[in-house]
Amino acid sequence: MTTDPARNCFNQAVLSAPRRLALPIAVYPGLALTGAKVSDIVTNPAAQVESQVALRERYRTPCVLSAMDLSAEAEAFGSTIRWSEGEVPTVTGRLVTDRAGVDRLVIPQPGDKRTAVSLEAVRGLRKLSGRPLVLGGCIGPFSLAARLVGVSEAMELTLTEPELMHALLAKSTSFLTAYVRAFREAGADGVIMAEPAAGLLSPRALAEYSSTYIKPLGESMADGHFALILHNCAARLPHLSAVLESGLHSFHFGAPMDLAAALAKVPSEVVLAGNLDPAAVFCQSTPEQVRFATAELLLRTLPFPNFVVSSGCDLPPNAKLENLDAFHHIVARQAEHGAAATPTPFSTQ
Amino acid sequence: MTDLKSLHEAVLNGNAGAAEAITKEALAAGVEPVRLVQDHMMPAMAEVGRRFEAGEYFVPELLLSARAMKRALVILRPLFAATGMPSAGRVVIGTVQGDLHDIGKNLVASILEGGGFEVIDLGTDVSPEAFLASVREKQPHIVAMSALLTTTMPAMRATIEVLQEAGVRDKIKVLVGGAPITQRFSDEIGADGFSESATGAVRLARELVAAA
Repeated sequence: MTTDPARNCFNQAVLSAPRRLALPIAVYPGLALTGAKVSDIVTNPAAQVESQVALRERYRTPCVLSAMDLSAEAEAFGSTIRWSEGEVPTVTGRLVTDRAGVDRLVIPQPGDKRTAVSLEAVRGLRKLSGRPLVLGGCIGPFSLAARLVGVSEAMELTLTEPELMHALLAKSTSFLTAYVRAFREAGADGVIMAEPAAGLLSPRALAEYSSTYIKPLGESMADGHFALILHNCAARLPHLSAVLESGLHSFHFGAPMDLAAALAKVPSEVVLAGNLDPAAVFCQSTPEQVRFATAELLLRTLPFPNFVVSSGCDLPPNAKLENLDAFHHIVARQAEHGAAATPTPFSTQ
Repeated sequence: MTDLKSLHEAVLNGNAGAAEAITKEALAAGVEPVRLVQDHMMPAMAEVGRRFEAGEYFVPELLLSARAMKRALVILRPLFAATGMPSAGRVVIGTVQGDLHDIGKNLVASILEGGGFEVIDLGTDVSPEAFLASVREKQPHIVAMSALLTTTMPAMRATIEVLQEAGVRDKIKVLVGGAPITQRFSDEIGADGFSESATGAVRLARELVAAA
């Protein structure tokens, strides 16, 4: 069995596909189809599976996902969570404030508290017919560390107390390594690891505080099949080299990334995905505007087979289904008709 | 003799300890507080903003510089008790109700303060009524609202409506910002300005205060 991480199942699916794959990070928008609530998604694995089944039936997507709930890992460490109607839970306060607190921090086990929900959702998704690619979702090491120590504080600590941050990162990475392994054992073909806070760092600091920790994690999971897909919704083109230092071969970027320029810089076996703005495009635009934005992105990335068209981040619960319809419609049209399907800003198709 | 260029450097490099020490030393040597702020600290923060916009500084560097300036201002502020701090304007800022994310708000507050604005930071999860109470009490030129979540964006509209109903909307300018906010949304809810960046927000704040 090869352990070349470039030949993971996700990259192979993308590079061997006869047409451009579309993979918006969408679990919560399925609530509009199932009638469940956000609180169901983050507490009930069956609600996640039902949401994915509903979206898969509507869009025939090749992948199914567990929900992005980036408070679950911090909660497993002991962070306080705030619940609110209609919104994914948020971490409140600071679990650790100093080095002694970091040293006392007990590393949880995968499956503790609500991390069990995502693992169980993956088990449910694995049972779906048609063998779709099953991708779990979890937070990245720096973003988890930032939730534990406070996001603004973590930013400053990278400059003022790097030893504290590295000690905290060692613990967050230890948990995430076990958690990603647990996703694989639950049946996941891969995991989308979201590292949004790292995109606020300088490229040098991103390499030091994020990529350095992801690299051994990725190497430990490389088995010729399992895909670790690194999502960074704040990274810009100057961050690209530092992100690539993670050694991974599958990346998902947010709206700030110049994807065409990034695709021109990465090796052809590295897959990039992204990056339509989840709020501006999927929540606030009209379907016509979504069609245009999607087509424009498809046109810019046309020369690159190693690209997956996607949202730039996890789609929020209030992303409009009619906009997801428009997104999938134009991807399918372009696959059928090529660039000629590209609508103008004033097109009504 | 205090080398005041080192105050500029201390703020630029985010060295709060040095900024505090140099400020104390300069005051002891008889340097006017207003000179420290206007001739050294504000230009330093302007350079921080320029470097941030140019991609030479990132969020950590910006926050540390802001912290260094704040440390010096703690010493200087009581000295302006009689005359008031020299100010480009007064801003009430907060993350809207239901939203606990504060890094964007913190960035804008820091750059505003570095740009000479008096900033009243209401924190996160600020209700429309709390914004209104602060407007009545502090009489700011600007109310700045931040949101990270698409689900909390409506709280911006609700806050503007509360300010409108209370009859204070016309006395202030409203700025909005945050990852999901767009110019289109800003226009829809009747805000006076929107910026995609912290440095842009400060430019906008200056324009709005000048035009008032």
